[in-house]
Amino acid sequence: MNAEKPDPLDRYSRQTRFPQLGVDGQRNLMRSRVTLCGCGALGTVLANHLVRAGVGHIRIVDRDFIEVHNLQRQILFDEDDVAENLPKAEAAARKLRKINSAVEIETVVTDIDHTNILGLVEDADLIMDGTDNFETRYLINDVAIKLNKPWVYGGVIGSEGQTMTIVPGKTPCLRCLIETAPPPGMTPTCETAGVLGPAVAVIASFEAIEAIKILSGKWDAINADLIMVDLWDWTFRQLKIANLLGKVDCPCCRHRNFEWLDGALGSHTTTLCGRNAVQVAVRLSEPLNFPQMAQRLAPLGEIRHNAFMLRFNAEGHEFTVFPDGRAIIKGTNDIAKARTLYAQFVGS
Amino acid sequence: MPVVRIPTPLRPHSGGQDRVEAGGATVGEILNDLGTQFPGLKERLFDGEELRRFVNIYVNNEDIRYLDDLETKVEPKDEVSIIPAVAGG
Repeated sequence: MNAEKPDPLDRYSRQTRFPQLGVDGQRNLMRSRVTLCGCGALGTVLANHLVRAGVGHIRIVDRDFIEVHNLQRQILFDEDDVAENLPKAEAAARKLRKINSAVEIETVVTDIDHTNILGLVEDADLIMDGTDNFETRYLINDVAIKLNKPWVYGGVIGSEGQTMTIVPGKTPCLRCLIETAPPPGMTPTCETAGVLGPAVAVIASFEAIEAIKILSGKWDAINADLIMVDLWDWTFRQLKIANLLGKVDCPCCRHRNFEWLDGALGSHTTTLCGRNAVQVAVRLSEPLNFPQMAQRLAPLGEIRHNAFMLRFNAEGHEFTVFPDGRAIIKGTNDIAKARTLYAQFVGS
Repeated sequence: MPVVRIPTPLRPHSGGQDRVEAGGATVGEILNDLGTQFPGLKERLFDGEELRRFVNIYVNNEDIRYLDDLETKVEPKDEVSIIPAVAGG
């Protein structure tokens, strides 16, 4: 006797019984495609929610590797992942496939920039913000407005955070709200101000619920405000921003001047949130050959490498190099110094 | 008197206070008074006479940019909030 195949909807029974979602909403969810930009603190919570909720396809894009101090808040990673030097996107995907094998999970270990973001999002129904810097957020904003795709912004620091949902043409965009990012040094970073796991989870959960509404087609329920919370002071605010649409002279959604997407703004060298480190991004025509590189660098001491990265110490700085030529150089905030170190040790 | 709510990153410049009373009938006047009370704040909020672009101001919960900007009228019982951009994630 043939065993009946289980109904794919069964595992979502507790979700479909929520009347505002229902079976129709769930079916929409299961056909949906999401690009998740960033899989760190916000990103891991987002990925966990969306995969469990049963999106159709999730593309997880993250440039970084797991370190032990991530474990305090980046919920998909564990000590074994740290020991294996796994990229965040890869480690997240391994866990998520065990959580819900019905979801197509794609990983891209790369730095999102204006040369690659189109390819990463053009087939997505929704873009989710799991990033840690405004450069990438403005890039997401440009491409979302240009391609008419919704996206959800989230930011968190210390015990507080903010979120806003951007639906092109219906809500203000990120640049309507904050036209230019604060320069480095003007705002706290996770290194100076810290960040608490529950605050991360709250903001990411707010983002995730908005994603579920959008992907299931429940547009009427979408958040129209800038939500701000502080979990230490118990502040919860809904700031009215809807009327900014069309009122502010937005270079992005009003003038369709996509300065970040066109590469007019933005850099390829960025200081990293919460660490005394700089990432230098260089486009190569072919991936680096790590065994050869390890031989060349052998005089420096121990060179560790695997398929995903090569790591060594030089002049008191730890270098992590990726096959695509990117390097994260620790022990400096100085972009010029990092570029010099890169040139000296990683090469041109 | 209207109250100004100070966001966490600026509290070192307001003597650690998260709420400060400031006098004035418009947002501009109130922020000026705030700057007089706390010179460190003025520098962080203003670039010359202009509000810095990444600083957003709300009266009660409304963004002043669709009210009257710095000319927005403020009643004694109103709250003026300085809302920072949050980059972390």
